[in-house]
Amino acid sequence: MKYVTTVANKEFTIEVIDEKHISVNGKVMEVDFESVSGQPVYSMLIDGKSYESYVYQGEEDWQVLLLGRQYPIKVEDERERRLKSAIGGKAESTGEFHLKAPMPGLVVAVTVEEGQQIEKGQVLAILESMKMQNELKAPRAGTVQRIKVKAGESVEIKQTMLSVV
Amino acid sequence: MFKKILVANRGEIAVRILRACRELGIETVAVYSEADRSALHVRYADEAYLLGPAPSRESYLRADKIIDIARKCGADAIHPGYGFLAEREAFAAACADAGITYIGPKPSAIAAMGDKMTARNTVAAAGVPVVPGTEGTGAMRDDELLAMAPKIGFPLLIKASAGGGGKGMREVASLEEMPTLLASARREAESAFGDGNVYLEKLVSGARHIEIQILADMHGSAIYLGERDCSIQRRHQKLIEEAPSPFVDETLRRKMGEVAVKAAQSVDYVNAGTIEFLVDKDSNFYFLEMNTRLQVEHPVTELVTGVDIVAEQIRIARGRQLSYKQEDIVIRGHALECRINAEDPYNGFMPSTGTITHSLLPTGPGIRVDTGVYPGFAITPFYDPMIAKLIVWGETRGQAILRMRRALEEYRIVGVRTNIPFHQTMMDSHRFMAGQYDTRFVEERFTMPEVEHDQEMHHPEIAAVFATLAAHHEAQRSAQFVMRNERDTSNWKWVGRWERMHR
Repeated sequence: MKYVTTVANKEFTIEVIDEKHISVNGKVMEVDFESVSGQPVYSMLIDGKSYESYVYQGEEDWQVLLLGRQYPIKVEDERERRLKSAIGGKAESTGEFHLKAPMPGLVVAVTVEEGQQIEKGQVLAILESMKMQNELKAPRAGTVQRIKVKAGESVEIKQTMLSVV
Repeated sequence: MFKKILVANRGEIAVRILRACRELGIETVAVYSEADRSALHVRYADEAYLLGPAPSRESYLRADKIIDIARKCGADAIHPGYGFLAEREAFAAACADAGITYIGPKPSAIAAMGDKMTARNTVAAAGVPVVPGTEGTGAMRDDELLAMAPKIGFPLLIKASAGGGGKGMREVASLEEMPTLLASARREAESAFGDGNVYLEKLVSGARHIEIQILADMHGSAIYLGERDCSIQRRHQKLIEEAPSPFVDETLRRKMGEVAVKAAQSVDYVNAGTIEFLVDKDSNFYFLEMNTRLQVEHPVTELVTGVDIVAEQIRIARGRQLSYKQEDIVIRGHALECRINAEDPYNGFMPSTGTITHSLLPTGPGIRVDTGVYPGFAITPFYDPMIAKLIVWGETRGQAILRMRRALEEYRIVGVRTNIPFHQTMMDSHRFMAGQYDTRFVEERFTMPEVEHDQEMHHPEIAAVFATLAAHHEAQRSAQFVMRNERDTSNWKWVGRWERMHR
């Protein structure tokens, strides 16, 4: 199986040859990769060198925590990549922004009203979690629509709080 | 001697106090909320009683229930830990009324130091220097504060009268932005302390936050255990503490220590306490506040002085004399503490909740970990994000930093995001290594390294292989899942046949 893996702006072609061998940009390496007691922590011996990393799946990429650095990484298999280039890249997003709760917590205040014009960076709501108040800001200018929460309500992680169009 | 002590707290500090009791042969009682049934302090104590639902207001802040439990189970004393009821005059007084010893200062001392304005007035009268501000003027309206601000001068700080831990605190650069900041400070103070009163204070620039640990007994002796440097903060929350401070020499230590003892004596202080100072570039120091309780960062002092502060607190509360005289206190080596918080340093330090699925603690020479969590324990949004304290000791500051780096590398916590990468970056920072930092360091000069910059990518190829193999395994696992379902449309039918065959 062949993958194209992108770390920041660097691209690697990585082929999984068999259980113990991979090739990175054509160079064959011996590898022993296993999870530590079934956790997303992996131990890897690659050409004799030992590494350990915490790997987890983010929204659309993989996050690799290795030796005190976090690497956001995109992994595509070849078929996926071909398919994508065939339909000409990503479908256009609708341009709507949905403010989702970044953590479970208590809505302290919704500082905007429906139909209100807002600026980029304006505070939309204040969410309290773990005894801290966190201001949630607008990533761009627009009009506030569909406010789904009000002050005093609890929200779950990723719950949509309001939308900006 | 106390026979039984109730610990009115949770998390790592409850465990820390239970440990001291265990060593002293004292029986222990834990209290807990519904969210904490499986918490370590509940498992560790000899007895444990439910307080109520998860929110602190309905559990750990229920002074009445706690005293009731103490009475029923026959506890002689209550240790409040830090936070929750630790600095409430009414709680200390209620303990005394119930005939239970409160392990801490007298209610009058808590009251005098608890209201920041009274505290400033009291210590100023005792000749302790304070930062210019609206001290002792009582509750002021917004228009009065706005009128006062230019006289104090910008930049300045808005602080909650009842508060601590940076809540209700705002920094103001100009008069124009002040009304908005006043409103948000009052809102936060109101929700955190039930008191929206605020006051103003001049912002000392280039300041370090250095605090003195003191111990005082009921027989009039008071000593200082040297200083802790807590300048590495973010939004006024301490993140790294060290003792001794790289900034403080023997002369300054003695000067600050003596002033700290004087401040404590001005309120007739008994038990362990901490006097916080702001120290400017020219070694002028100003009284900030006194914490009338055990501090989160007390272990760094324990490591460099050898004093078990919690054991000493219990001894003082029993009415015994201090085990130490001032000349017995010698600072040896260097200690660092990193607060491990469930926060994502790559996402604006946003708190992170979830269940800890895996945890491997660092061990080995010079390492101490104080924690209240373990694999399988859920981090809920109800309490503080601090899940552990990693403390190291070294012969020198250099050795302590190297040890901390090693320990951070060993520490594995899976299930929630933690700020361990922040600490690792900090330990690699040249300014931190050189001891050149002030309270603004994290906010003004510090950024998490981003791998978009090539020089920050130490092992891009290895990281790429990790991600690819993890993705590959994931894909294979889901493929197997599909195949198993294809193999057998009805597993029940298959099991039935198999059983009949083997009958």
